[in-house]
This record gives sequence, C-alpha cells and structure tokens, in this order.
Amino acid sequence: MTAVIEVRGLTKRYRDAVAVDDVSFSIERDTIYGLLGRNGAGKTTVMSILTAQNFATSGDVRVFGEHPYENARVLSRMCFVRESQKYPDDATATHALGAARLFFPNWSQELADRLVDDFQLPMRRRIKKLSRGQLSAVGVIIGLASRAEVTFFDEPYLGLDAVARQLFYDRLLQDYTEHPRTVILSSHLIDEVSNLIERVLVIDRGRIIMNEDTDSVRDRAATIVGDSAAVDAFVAGREVLHRESLGRVASVTILGALTHEDRERLAAADLDVAPVSLQQLIVRTTQSADGAASEKGASR
Amino acid sequence: MSTMSSLDRTVRVVRMQLINRQTYIWVPLLILGGSLALTIVIWTMIPYDGPKYGGASQAPLWYFFAVGIQALTLSFPFSQAMSVTRREFYLGTLLTALATSFILAAIFVFGGLLETATGGWGLNGYYFKLDWIWQQGPAAAGLFYLVAAMLFFVIGFTAATVYKRFGTLWLTIVLLAVAVLMVAAAWTITMTQSWPAVWTAVTTAGPLSAALWGLAVLVVLGVASFLVIRRATP
Repeated sequence: MTAVIEVRGLTKRYRDAVAVDDVSFSIERDTIYGLLGRNGAGKTTVMSILTAQNFATSGDVRVFGEHPYENARVLSRMCFVRESQKYPDDATATHALGAARLFFPNWSQELADRLVDDFQLPMRRRIKKLSRGQLSAVGVIIGLASRAEVTFFDEPYLGLDAVARQLFYDRLLQDYTEHPRTVILSSHLIDEVSNLIERVLVIDRGRIIMNEDTDSVRDRAATIVGDSAAVDAFVAGREVLHRESLGRVASVTILGALTHEDRERLAAADLDVAPVSLQQLIVRTTQSADGAASEKGASR
Repeated sequence: MSTMSSLDRTVRVVRMQLINRQTYIWVPLLILGGSLALTIVIWTMIPYDGPKYGGASQAPLWYFFAVGIQALTLSFPFSQAMSVTRREFYLGTLLTALATSFILAAIFVFGGLLETATGGWGLNGYYFKLDWIWQQGPAAAGLFYLVAAMLFFVIGFTAATVYKRFGTLWLTIVLLAVAVLMVAAAWTITMTQSWPAVWTAVTTAGPLSAALWGLAVLVVLGVASFLVIRRATP
C-alpha cells in the first residue's frame, strides 16, 4: 500500500483553542476512510489544512509527496467541498457544476447528469434559494463527479433525508468500485457509514485516537447473545461495553478479540456472536480516552 | 491523467467568473444603458440649449466596486472548493476585471465619438464625452476610463481581502489609517501654504496623468491584495 497523504506533527492553534494537537497519520491510496469524531473534534480543520484551504500552525503535510499549498499539481488531484460551502452570488447549480467541469481533470459529466437526476436537483434555481438538502446535493455531486484522486466529504448529508443519504452511499460505492480512489468521509452518523468505510480514523479533541481497518476495529469487540446466566458466566472478568436483556435472553458487548478457546466455549454454552455496532465501539473508545486523559490530568 | 498548466487554469478562472454572465456583463450593461436612457429623457425636459453634461456615466464604476467585493467574499471560497490556487484565483479574477473594464472603456469611447457625431444625441447632451476627460483625445479618455473602472474594482477587492483575512476590526483600522494619511497630507499642504500650487497642479493635470497616477495606485493595491490573499482562508 502506498500513502497519498502523510501528516507529521500537525498542530492548528487558534487564539483561544487548539483545534488539532500534534497529529501524525497517513492516508492510503484507493481506500474509503471514515473520519469520525464529535462536533468540534477538528475534522473540518484537518481536511481544510490537507487541501491548503487553511494553514497549519506547525507540522508537515504532504499530499502525493508534495506540499499542497499553492501547488496546482497537487490541488487539481483533490476535491473538498465544504458542508458550509459558499457559492458565487446568483449562481445556479448549472453554474457550479459548469465550473467544476473546468477544474477537475477527471470530471465525468455523465455521472454528474445522472446524479442531478437521482437527487432531482433544480438546475436553474439560484443556489441561495435551494433547500439545505439540495445545497448538500450540489456538493455531493461535485465531489462524486470530480472523480478526484483524493476526495473529501465533510458531513455531506446535512438536510438529506434517509433515501437521499442511501442514494449517496450507493452511488459512492458504485463509482468507487469502477474508479478506485481515496475518499475521506467525515461523519457522525457512524453506523450509517460503517458498511461503506474500509478504514476508521477517529479524531477526538484534536487528536487522532484510532486509525485502523474497520474490520479489525470490529474484531476488537463482540456481542454475545443467549441465555443470560450463560452470557454472564462467559463475560465475567471481561470489559463490558454494553448490556441489554429481554427476559432470560441477554445481549452483552465485550471488549477484546475472541480467541479460539473463547469460540469453543461459546459454542459449548450455546451462545451466539453478533456483530458489534461501530458507533457503540467508537463512542465507548472516545469516552475511555477522555477518562484516561482526565485521570492523567488529575494525577499531575 | 491530463495536467493543466498554471496559465490554462488562470484562464479557466476567467471562464469560471464569466460562467454566470449576469455579474460581469449584463448588469453593468444594464446600469450603463439604463442610466444613459434616463439621462437622455431628463435632457429632453430641460429647456436649455447649451451643452448639458450627465454625471451618470460613473454609475457602472460604482457597480465595479461592489463586484470587486463580491469577487472575493463569494467567488474566492468557491474557487477554493474548485481546487484553484490563490495565485490562479487572483490573476484570473483581475484578468476578468481587466477584460470587462476594457469593454466598458471601449463603449465609453465609442459613445463619446457617437455623441460628437450626433451633436449630443441631437440634444446637445453629453453622457460619455465629458470635456475634462476628453481634452487629450479619445485614447486618453479610454485609458482614463479603463483605469477608473479597474481602480473601483481593485479598491473593493482589496478591502474585501483585508476583511476576509483579518476581520472587520482590521478593515476599519486600515480605512481609518488611510483617512489619517489624507488628513495629514491636507495638514501639510495647509501648513506649507501650498494649496494654490496643488490646485493648479490638479486642474492642469489632464486625464492622461490622472490615469497614470491611478495606475500607480492600482499597482500598490494590486500587490497589497495579493500579499493579503496569499494567506487568506475561505
């Protein structure tokens, strides 16, 4: 695997806050990343700096091995449409997509046209008169049809209903299969995108606390379902993330990968293993990171 | 993968700015045509046979000031989403302003020649052909108008870059500083009792030297706004 983006010691400090705190990570080629984290965790700031729309206070960012700032060679291979993107006054979606066609070398007009149909985007209405969902659709269409080698989607679903969001996920996956590229999708609808993303990048309070394959993240925990007495016996001594019970049946999510012996014990006890919600796992992980941080703070 | 040269991308910024022709072409033409038509109607109501002058030809210039502001506040964030560098955006946008200023100047010169030929629309009324601007001929008048239109645009553009990068407080401070400099200049002129000399210089200066001074200001503001926009965020 080759890295398309490499970040070393990136820090972004605003006058009264640290948005990104000494972060290092790399992004592999032709992979869909989920950039997950709470509001204000630093997701947009990181994406802005990677696309040279914003400036780092310190640290080094390399995209395709080069600095992206004022570098048309690098920038033209990237696409980042913000969640709060501004468009020229009186511009319509026709104008916006027309401009995108001028600048993105891999632009697919065919895909753009199909997406306009899919999202039923009014092309001749001024963008400032569009609904929030339609505004998001403009950004989504530019992001997908640009087929940029590195594409950032910053919470692209605002105002989109469940059907339109599913449409976005489907089209993204479909086009990604035919035209592999690197996609970085920021979201806090974690479970909704969990089937889409191949790698999970979790940012919390300006720090990257997880950068792993989605599958291996999932393997970190398991949900055990079955007779509550048997479940309790199995989970004794393990870290429990979540517990639900209904009558004599319990469903308990535990942290830690299951070993071969574990699976034999489960089979013997007639217990089932169910998939874990990525959201639960990440919420739990960010909480424990917070806990660890405050403990560390308290001990100082 | 196709790669575009920086020049090509700069030209594409011009095309991006002109994708919606309303902003740079139709609205200024509408303002020009509208103010001209209204001026002519007003002239027909004035029972005076001597030459009449209209000041409404400055209307499109004020519009350029507004476009200069908008080019930055709205088109700059959009250009960033189009993965355009700040330098390409800056050059492309100024090139667009230059091209449209040129069209305005050409219309202005053509209108002035037309007014001369028709005796001021048969009404002895002059919208384009203002004596002071035309005293050195149509070329100087055209250059004057070109520089004036660019100047209005660049003043709006520069003010907006300062606002975008440093915020309202610093824009106000910069505008105040400019005002302080002007008052200081006036004070110096008064103290040295050189007002008569200044007035003579201003009144004897033709449109050509005015255009050249304007050009100097244009260069200063152009460089300043480029330095500011290099570190601006959308």
